[in-house]
Amino acid sequence: MTRPGKRCLRPSLSVLEVALFSWLLVLAACGPESTDSHRAGGSDSAAFEAIGTGEPRRGGHLRVGYALEPTSLDAVLGRSGGDAYYWHQIYDQLVDADPDLFPRPSTSLAQSWEISTEPDAITFYLREGVTFHDGTKFNADAVKFNVERILEPKTMATPRAAMTVIESVDVLDEFTVRFNLSRPWGAGLNMLADRGGVMNSPAAVRALGKDYGWNPSGTGPFKIDKVITGTLVHLVRNENYWGTDESGNPLPYVDEVTIRVIRDQTVLSSALRTGEIDIAYLPYKDVSAFQRDDRFQIETMPGGAIALLMAFNLAAPPLDDINLRLAVAHAVDPEILNKAIFFDQVIVADAGMWPIGAWVYDNSLPRPYYDPDKAREYLVAGGRPDGFEFTAVTYNSPIFVPAAEVVRAMLKKVGITMKIDVLSNAAATERFFFGGDYPMYLTGWSRYPEPDWLASLAYKSDGYYNAGNLERPEIDRLVEKGASLYDIEARKEVYNEINRTVLSEAWFTPLLYAVNYAAAPRKVRNLDRLMGWDGKMDLREIWLDP
Amino acid sequence: MPQYVLRRLLQALPVLLIATFLVFALMLAIPGDPVRALIGPGEALDEEQIQILREENHLDEPVLVQYALWLGKALKGDLGRSTQNQRPVAAELRTRALTTFQFGLAAWILAVLIGVPAGIVSAVYRGKPVDYIATVVSIGGVAIPNFWLGIMAILLFGVTLGWLPTQGYVNIFEDPVQGLRHMILPAFALGITSCALIMRQSRSAMLEVLAQDYMRTARAKGLRERTVVWVHALRNALLPVITVLGLQTGRIFAGAIVIETLFGIPGTGQFMVQAIFARDFKVVQGAVLLMALAVLTANLLTDIVYAWLDPRIKYDG
Repeated sequence: MTRPGKRCLRPSLSVLEVALFSWLLVLAACGPESTDSHRAGGSDSAAFEAIGTGEPRRGGHLRVGYALEPTSLDAVLGRSGGDAYYWHQIYDQLVDADPDLFPRPSTSLAQSWEISTEPDAITFYLREGVTFHDGTKFNADAVKFNVERILEPKTMATPRAAMTVIESVDVLDEFTVRFNLSRPWGAGLNMLADRGGVMNSPAAVRALGKDYGWNPSGTGPFKIDKVITGTLVHLVRNENYWGTDESGNPLPYVDEVTIRVIRDQTVLSSALRTGEIDIAYLPYKDVSAFQRDDRFQIETMPGGAIALLMAFNLAAPPLDDINLRLAVAHAVDPEILNKAIFFDQVIVADAGMWPIGAWVYDNSLPRPYYDPDKAREYLVAGGRPDGFEFTAVTYNSPIFVPAAEVVRAMLKKVGITMKIDVLSNAAATERFFFGGDYPMYLTGWSRYPEPDWLASLAYKSDGYYNAGNLERPEIDRLVEKGASLYDIEARKEVYNEINRTVLSEAWFTPLLYAVNYAAAPRKVRNLDRLMGWDGKMDLREIWLDP
Repeated sequence: MPQYVLRRLLQALPVLLIATFLVFALMLAIPGDPVRALIGPGEALDEEQIQILREENHLDEPVLVQYALWLGKALKGDLGRSTQNQRPVAAELRTRALTTFQFGLAAWILAVLIGVPAGIVSAVYRGKPVDYIATVVSIGGVAIPNFWLGIMAILLFGVTLGWLPTQGYVNIFEDPVQGLRHMILPAFALGITSCALIMRQSRSAMLEVLAQDYMRTARAKGLRERTVVWVHALRNALLPVITVLGLQTGRIFAGAIVIETLFGIPGTGQFMVQAIFARDFKVVQGAVLLMALAVLTANLLTDIVYAWLDPRIKYDG
């Protein structure tokens, strides 16, 4: 019965198949090289021009992959640490910091500064001849405008909390500006190395209003060309950029940069392998595979963040008892977490919340280390020799959820039962730090250039990230002292003093310090200049072999 | 028919109101202070700024008042600005919806182009190897999660074979070839489940129709098998297939959430998920409104197509 049908159906189906298949082939034949819509516009190898033998080459199109899209390209309005991967390319800061987190005038918009104490003030002598991307001049008026913009509460600038010590800004002459302070501000210079010191064009901010965030005009090495939200940010060279390399060659080297948003870790690594992108920060799971692959080079930065830590709410039972907190802190073995969750690619934390690489880092201080016997002793001291139960919160990342499971298993060994609530990052942060709903939060922490950022927010009694908000006047005084001192050694002593309390009373127990792994094919040069003080991308000195 | 369409449109209004109000209330009912959640983890605003943010977003008003304020503006086409990235929600949704629509349409076309013929072949050759193969493939298509299939497709066609780009989006109207190349893998990953469902549905509907008396009559009066299958049987078998197709619109929107994230496509789904995590409720509201509208429209179109396919179906009166 179906025989005639067979004859009829076969040809019509195969035509369809052939058509579909040939369509796929035609599209596939266009090749992976031409996948980027921005390749036109002077990015071909012919556009490369050698400056000299062995010298960096100018030209080319650098394509970068990154997991987070920017929340804003206006650095002071952004709500995510990931924004810095974008704004570093667009802006300069009033005071830049070197990788050890010391102020570095040579890359700063202020060439020098003077600190005075009676009255408290910092006077900045600005770099001359710098222009914003919109062609307007960078000068003392621009600095005054930017600081006042941050201080205006309606702007909703995130650095405001750290900068209210500035009472007013005086323009002394076109390139000299004085910050009048309400108290000494030793933390100030490093604070200005972060978002707070970023300089926007006043004319562009005024003209664009709320739309400025996606059409920013800074003084930095690259200018915004095009943004496709959620997909990519395309930047082109700022031909008038003031910065130079050591030999005096103008920066940046590449003509254009595309930062592509690639959220999935596996896809990010495969995009690097297929050549769709030139630079990516590797997920830990892929580090060893790339290390074995000769086509790639890897640059590392130990201490780029805190990969895993336990934050405690000192007011939330049962962990309001210091002995029980210390029992938890001593029962967790970071070595195992490193091997089980981080593919052995991060570093066991041996100091406080200021990770390795910062001037304030000091691993000689006493802190809880893995010691199950001690954990049991603390349980006895806390009156719970048979253990106890509590609920920790973490957020839904592929790292923290399994890490929480491992921590739970470790705690079980000493008799502590930990339940886990998994929320989104924003919800977990909000409910732990402000809701007071959990005694412990298993999370990570960014690296900041200025220790006071953390101290004021997390250690001071009224700090935004102090979950318990317990009154500890002696710590409050130390935090204020640390922020006011101008001498680094004196500041270090104060922060060590704070750390002694924070670590020995288990306010925060860092378990693992992150290592950033940036990978690129061999044609990408100067990869060792990629990561700035915050471990995030800075592309001004990257160049491409043709 | 026009009366019917009008009535359906009027019925859609309460659905839209209920859906948007429920989501609005649910977003605010999530435990915790929405203002703090808006600020973002790792960032800090001081009390003065928090108060301004609260007032600007009317978060100190009762839920009903907040909803009414939102609705009043939404009716004028103003969905507010995203609290996360400060962009106007309506403009952002417009561009993103076009993107999702492109991929959704491609997935949908792919599902129909493969699903319907495969279902018919499978029914006509019932019990033959081709039927078994199609059955196994379709069950696999339903069972395998589309994000896994997406990752596998990326690894095979992008990494191993290097045929297709694995990431990103190119506007098909700006660069048709690149646009299509970027569309193939996500459309495949997105459409495969729908394709399998459509295939199963076409197969069973076709089998049922082929067993009808009028099929025997058609053959008895000497019609060629091709005409019997493609003209007489197919049109009658399409009705349940259309139902599935209509339902797939919602599924494709839901699937887009995962697939857009995987392939880095700036569509509505991805936008909404991020907004939910960031508690960017104006964006969530706008996206829900848009998706509800899309599903309601798809359902309406499905009903209209019913009447066109089957003259026995009358909506008027």
